[in-house]
Formats: sequence, C-alpha cells, structure tokens
Amino acid sequence: MGSFKLSRRAMLRGLVGSTAVALALPTLEAMLNSHGEAYADSTPLPRRFMTWFFGNGVLLPRWVPPTQGPDYQLTEELAPLISVQQYCTVLTGFMNKAGYGRRGHHDGVAGCFSGHPFIELDPGGANYSSKFGGPSIDQVIASRIGSNTFLPSLHVGVSKRVTYGEGPTLGYLSHKGPDEPVPSERNPQEVYNALFGSFTPPDDPHGKLRVKALDAVNEDVKRLKTRVGATDQKRLDAHLQSIFQLQKQLGALPPVCTEPGAPGETNEDFEGKEPLLEVSHAMADLVAIAFACDITRVVSFMQSGGVGGTVYHMTGATTEEHGLSHEPGGQELVHKAVVFNMECFAYLLGKLQEQSEGVGNLLDNSVILLGSDCAEGLTHSSFDQPIIVAGRGGGTLKSGIHYRSPNKENTSDILLSCLQAFDPGATEVGSAEGYSNTPCQAMKA
Amino acid sequence: MLALALSTAASAAALPACTGTIGGGEGVDESLVAPGPTLRRLVRSQYKNSVGDLLGEGAKVAADPPDDFELNGFDSIGAAQIALGDDSVKAYESSARAVAAAAMGDKERIDSLHGCPETSPSAAECHANFIRNFGRLAWRRPLDEAEVERYTAVAQFAATDRDDFYAGVEYAIAAMLQSPHFLYQIELGEPVAGRPDLRKLSGFELASRISFFLLGTTPDAELLDAAEKGELDSPDGVREAALAMLERPAAREALRGFYDEFLGLRRLSGVAKNGDVYPAFTPSLADAMRTETLTLIEDIVWERDADVLELLDASYTFVNAELASHYGLPAPEGEGFHRVDLPADGQRAGLLGHGSFLSTFAHTATTSPTLRGKFVRERLLCTSIPAPPGNVVTTIPEGGDAKTMREKLKEHQTNPSCAGCHVMMDNIGLALENFDGVGAFRLTENDVTIDVSGSIDGDATFEGVRELGGVLREDERVGLCMVRNLFRQGTGHVDTDGERKVLAALGEAFVKDGRKLKGLLAEMVASDAFRFVGKVQ
Repeated sequence: MGSFKLSRRAMLRGLVGSTAVALALPTLEAMLNSHGEAYADSTPLPRRFMTWFFGNGVLLPRWVPPTQGPDYQLTEELAPLISVQQYCTVLTGFMNKAGYGRRGHHDGVAGCFSGHPFIELDPGGANYSSKFGGPSIDQVIASRIGSNTFLPSLHVGVSKRVTYGEGPTLGYLSHKGPDEPVPSERNPQEVYNALFGSFTPPDDPHGKLRVKALDAVNEDVKRLKTRVGATDQKRLDAHLQSIFQLQKQLGALPPVCTEPGAPGETNEDFEGKEPLLEVSHAMADLVAIAFACDITRVVSFMQSGGVGGTVYHMTGATTEEHGLSHEPGGQELVHKAVVFNMECFAYLLGKLQEQSEGVGNLLDNSVILLGSDCAEGLTHSSFDQPIIVAGRGGGTLKSGIHYRSPNKENTSDILLSCLQAFDPGATEVGSAEGYSNTPCQAMKA
Repeated sequence: MLALALSTAASAAALPACTGTIGGGEGVDESLVAPGPTLRRLVRSQYKNSVGDLLGEGAKVAADPPDDFELNGFDSIGAAQIALGDDSVKAYESSARAVAAAAMGDKERIDSLHGCPETSPSAAECHANFIRNFGRLAWRRPLDEAEVERYTAVAQFAATDRDDFYAGVEYAIAAMLQSPHFLYQIELGEPVAGRPDLRKLSGFELASRISFFLLGTTPDAELLDAAEKGELDSPDGVREAALAMLERPAAREALRGFYDEFLGLRRLSGVAKNGDVYPAFTPSLADAMRTETLTLIEDIVWERDADVLELLDASYTFVNAELASHYGLPAPEGEGFHRVDLPADGQRAGLLGHGSFLSTFAHTATTSPTLRGKFVRERLLCTSIPAPPGNVVTTIPEGGDAKTMREKLKEHQTNPSCAGCHVMMDNIGLALENFDGVGAFRLTENDVTIDVSGSIDGDATFEGVRELGGVLREDERVGLCMVRNLFRQGTGHVDTDGERKVLAALGEAFVKDGRKLKGLLAEMVASDAFRFVGKVQ
C-alpha cells in the first residue's frame, strides 16, 4: 500500500458539516510535497494577484531611485519599503502608451491598469464621463484563476472621497469590461462579512430554495437575451455569470482556517476626518487572511481615488489631495501623502510576508502591482508613472530591483509579465496604442 | 404655504402641439431619429418605491438594492449602460429575500392577490393566481403562461419543502423581484407603419416610463389598466394621464429626487468641510441647506406653478433658525422652515446664493470658483468643459503671496495650457466669491476687498450673485438646458442630435408658457421623443 497523501480538495471535503476547526495556517504540511514547494499531488501552491492604487501620482525627483539593479538606493518616498525592499521591484521610465494625452487621470489609470485606451462618453453638453476600454488586469487574471476560490476576486477601498462624477474610470479600480465596473467595499466589517459571513451551511434549509428561485430568474434572463440588442446581450451575459457565481457560492464550503474576529473598524469619519490609517491597516489584515485562507486569489485595493477628495490630515493637510497637487504651494503636502501611502503599502506587504506558506511566505507566491493615475499630479503626465511590482509570483518574477527603461517601454509590458505569472501561455494584453505582446524582460526571474 | 389654484391643465392645452410636420407613420415628427433602446435597471429609489407600492411599507424598509452608477451626471444613464456584477446580483438576491419575508407580515394583502379562501401547500392554482396578479403589477405587464408556470414551480417547490403555502408565496416573490422583468425597464417597442427606423413604446412600456419618471415608482393598477385599454396610445391620452399623475404627492417626491441629483444636493450630507476653518458646518446645517433649496423649488413649482427659473434669482427663501443665523438673517418665529424675504440691500438671492450650492461646489477649506463655474456651465447652460490635457508639461510658478481666490486663480489663467478651460469656469464662479466655502457672506478675504465681477464668454458681464442670477434667467440656453436635463433623467440617455428638434420645440413651448415645470413635464412625456425609441441595435 502506498503512502497516504491528503489532497487539498480531500481535506476540504473532509470537513463538510463539521464544526469550525482551527488549522495551522496556511497550508497543512501534510498536504505539501517533501520540498514544501507544491501540494503532494504536485499542483503548485496557489498564486495571488493584487492591484494597489493611490491617486494623483508622486513627486518624481523624490520617488525614482538614483541607482538601478538590486539593493537600489531608497528615496524619500520609497523609504517606508525598507523592510520589504527585497520583494519590491521598482519600474521607472515606462510610457503608458494607452494613455496618450486625451484626458489627465483617465489616461493614467485606464492605461496603466488595463492596457486599453479608455472610452470617452460623448458628453453632448452633459457632464463628462468615461469608462475603461477593456478589462483591468486583475479581472483578466481572475478570469484565469478566479473559479478556484469562493470569491473570484475581492475589491476593497480605503478613502471614501472618490470622484464618481466622471464615470467608472475614476470611480472604480477594477473593471470586467467597459460596462462592468466592480465596486470596492470601504467598510472593513462588510469585507469581513463577504469573506466569512456569507457562507450558507450545507444543511441550511433555504439553500436549495434559493437555488431554485435563481434557476427561474436565470431562465428569464436567457429568454430576454434573445430579444435585445448586442450591447444588452453582453450585459445580460454578465448578469447570467453573476447568477451562476451566486448559485455556486450557495453550495460552497466554509474556509478551512481560523476565522479572525470581525474588525471593529467601520470607516466612519471622526470630526470630519477619514480614518485612513486604521482602515488601510484593517483592509490589509483582511486581505492577508483572505489569501491565507484561500477565499480569493485576486484583490484590488483602492487606497484613494484619482482626482479624489481625500484629505491626508495626518500630513497636516486641510484640503483635498487633488487640489493640492495643482498648487505650487501644495507639493510638500503631496509628498507627505505619498510617504503615508507607501507606509500603508509596506504594512500590507509585511502582513503577507508574515504568513508562511510552504518554504516561503505569501509574498513569495504573490504578484502585487502598485500604480497611480499619473506620474506627477501637477502635470498629469502618463510617462514615468510610479510602478512597483512586489512579490515573486511563485518564483516567476525577479524581485527587489530597480529597473529604469532606457527606451520608454510600454507599461502594458509590465501587465503582460504579471499575467504570465498566472498564465504562462498568455501572449498579449491591452489594445490599440496600449497593446503589448512583449513582456517586460527585466522582470523575468 | 398658500396653495394657489392650479392652471396647468388649461395652460398645457394652450401649448402648440410639439409633433411638428405630420408625415407618414402615425404622424411622428419627421426629424426624430431616436437611439435604440437599452435595458435600464431601476435606480435605488425607484426600486424601493416600487417595493413599497407593491408590498407595503415594511417591505420597503427591508429593501436594500445595490448602489447606482452615475454616468454623464445621472444615475438613470448609468442604469441604462452598466451591467450587473456579482456584488449587485448578490445584493438583489438578499434584498428580494428580505422584502419577501417582510411582505409576509401583511397576509391580507397577500391573500387579496390570490383570492383563494383556503390554501394548502399543494394548491398550485392559488400560487398561479398570485403570480398572475402580483406579476402584472411587479413586472408592469401581464405574464405569459410559461412565466406563470415557471414561478408557480418555484412556489410549489418551496411550499412542498416547507409544508407551507405561504413559504411558496414568499419564494415566488423573492424570485420575481430578482427577475430582469422587475429589475429592468424593458422598452423594445412596436413597429411603426412608414417608419422602419422607429418603434413605438407599447402602452405598458410607456406607462412604466412615465410612472418611473413622473412619480419615481412603478405604475399602479389603474395606469396599467389605462395602458391595456389603449388610453396611452395617443399624445392627448398621455398628456391627460400625466396631468392627473402630477397631482399626486409622489410627483413632488420624484421631482425632489430629480433636483437632489441634478443640483448635487444628495451629496451635501457627505460633503467634507474642515472643522477648523468652517466650524459652523454641522450635519444639521447641511440638512437645513438642502431643505431650503428643495422647499423653494416646491414653492415655485407646486404651490405657485410659477416660472421655474425664478429659482435662479428668487428674492425670497425658506430658512429655519440655524440657517437664518448662518445667513445673518433674523430668526423666523417658531419651529421649522419659514418663508423670508431676502433684504433688498443684501447680496444673497436665488439658488447660487444658497448654502447648499455654495457648500457642495467648494473645497474642504476654501471656495472653488472653478467647481461653481463648472456647475453653471454643465448643468445650467449645457455646455461641456473640454478635457484637461493628459500631459501638461508645465510648472505653475511658485505663488504664495496670493491673498484672494481671484489672485490665486490668476496663476491658472496665465498658463496657456490651463487658461482655456479655467476662464470658462472661473469667470463665472468668481462672481460668487462673496460667499465662502459654506455659503457665509463676506466682503473681504485676508483683509482684501473681494472683487465679484464676472463674465460668461466675455459677452455678459455682471457683479455678484444677484446679477449673475438675473443674467442666467435671461439666457435662453438655460430653459432649453432644463428641458434637456429632465429628458436625460427620464429616458436614461444624453439627448442625441436626432432628438434636438423635438426638444427645441418643447423648449420653445415651455418658454411661451412662462416656463412652468408641470406643463413641461406633461408635454415632455407626450412628445414623440419620449414615446418612441429606435430599432434594437
């Protein structure tokens, strides 16, 4: 008789209907191969992807490291990363080719996070609005790996003062497509509920009735689809897909891991000030646990919004970041806000680094793309936007270097390299000016 | 407030017909090129109101649909374009279940919808009755037999499983409220003889469109009956139905909703102000500001049926004690809001002098002539602001000694890449500088006397808010822009070139009629642009 090997799936199945069982996180040693690099059945450890966004750019002279390669010299704005520098590849000198100068901020975020030029909605004398031109990279990756987990992707945000008045491009970080922006949850308690509170126990008497009700709805949507135009057909496809997802979740098993307590933070303002630090930390804690418990493998994290009204009160600022970025006297405060954001980012990376997995930690098995919606807020430039790729992508990505492109490589090349960490067969991302079929060589392990 | 006799019906009848040249195809305006229909999901308020009308107040309280997506300034435009994602579908499911559970608290209503004196879990016919009757109301049209069967099966499955007839009803309600036939306004229309490019909304489709627009809720049984009898097939029938609907309290609520969105008032409670700079700005003051504006609109439109553009230069307003003190006015006698005349020698008048507008369109610690001017441009004049360039290669010179907002903004105006757009916005907003970021009056800023001269496109020049309000009231673009904005919200799309002629005719009639909003609304829903859609694309 061969030695008994417990597969991860068997492990999950084995816990049906049992009371909550606390297991050592994240992965049982018994489930790993003898090198601790993969599961016993040789499927690799899961990889995770995250986009991390903050609005209104940086101050380039205080951002770009003066040296390249490993052990690059940290600048003022990168200094908070010191404890995770070995995981952080800083990419500078790239050109966001999908953002070719049509509208500041819109160019920057759509191009940098999707590789598709944004779609302008003819305002026809109305308020200006735009949408993403294609799926954001997190959704491209979720379409490859999202079906493995309870939630295909998770979307969190921190500052509530996001600009919604100019359409989904600025209001949302994640987009399944032009007409499918994905909202971010900004209340940590609600994120907790989404992760741990929405499981329907297998013996819940309402489960099958809910599925039956959704079956009828599903049939209605399908029939309606035959009567509407092409655009609406696509929208109804999204509706159908979400019904399918919900039905699937109704039969899903609770996560095999120690449930953390619910966070106390709810993201309420106090005396007109947003609890930015507290919420950012709470979200980071939740993301780390969501990854560790394998409830999702894809996250978008919207620290603040482009053209947003976030007031970084901890820097001494009394007015909105976006306004400050356009003021001569505001630059020092903008700089301090960048440092604050990088401190929050470093906290998140630290949380992932703390969670061991196999022979390494979650950060080893993650790819985290940090970016903004312009290089510097003052100039709206989409050349040399701040970009960091953190994590080793399960050994596929080089980490801890500064690479400055000598020839304005396309930021979409970076997206393609990220995608290939999850789908080695992927050959292209983006479209039109933002199209790339050339991954960033410098990122390759 | 004094309720004056309403003359809308008479004045509306006197309006010239807006159908233009009578050509082929049922006399449809020949100039009309209508965009193809799109599914438009009910916005949050429409969903909640509908649930309340269908199933009672308890169900309405339980309803919690997902958030709306705003596009081009309106949630209804987002509702016509954005797809439902995982979070929305999940939210609709939990909302529908909560609504259905709450609805079970009103057994009398439930029983009236199936009509069976006795019910057993296996009483399929009673479930089918319920689904037919409730379905016609909830889906705003009769159900076909396949649909009745589909949802009867849901009800029977649940009733059998739970051994309870009402569990079946509950699950049928929960399912039907998740159906696209409840969640979306479906406006596919019917063919029009002689106009292959157009489709005429069916009576039921039009009943929904009118009811959601004018009343913010689902059509009631009476309107559905009228639709079924063909009473909404002609412009006259539509106008008559609309005028009756405008007499209902829900019409006031719906118009409040329009202005809440159109003027950005709904954002007021979330507007952030720096407490050190503006200690007076409390949630109760913000609330009072919103009430002021909505009450003035209510007075002009519903109580007086007067020129709606009085909103721009009204010499009276409505304040409570807190707002009166904020404005430096004597406190009105008694609790709540009272009409007051604004002092003739003061500065404040009209919407652009309201705390609501002045606070919403400002920064946390300063005013923003740019945001205020942008509002006037986009919302009142319907002129879009060109995009700020994507790659501004520039540095704004170090300033620092600017004492007033005007001096500070000069920096933008001397920079060629900023000046083009900023002049368009700032030169309007600078006329409002006598009001700070929360709408308090001031004559100086950092000890410098504030200059409140402004201009629109260099043509019209003015000093301060009163003159600006007067200039806008005379600007013929403002009336037409009002028409266009109502049309956008009502139809869920930005008006297209092919609809401009019909809207221009509506605008002219509106002006001729003294710019009375009720008359406009009735004419608008009776217009060809409202009753027809393009082909399915």
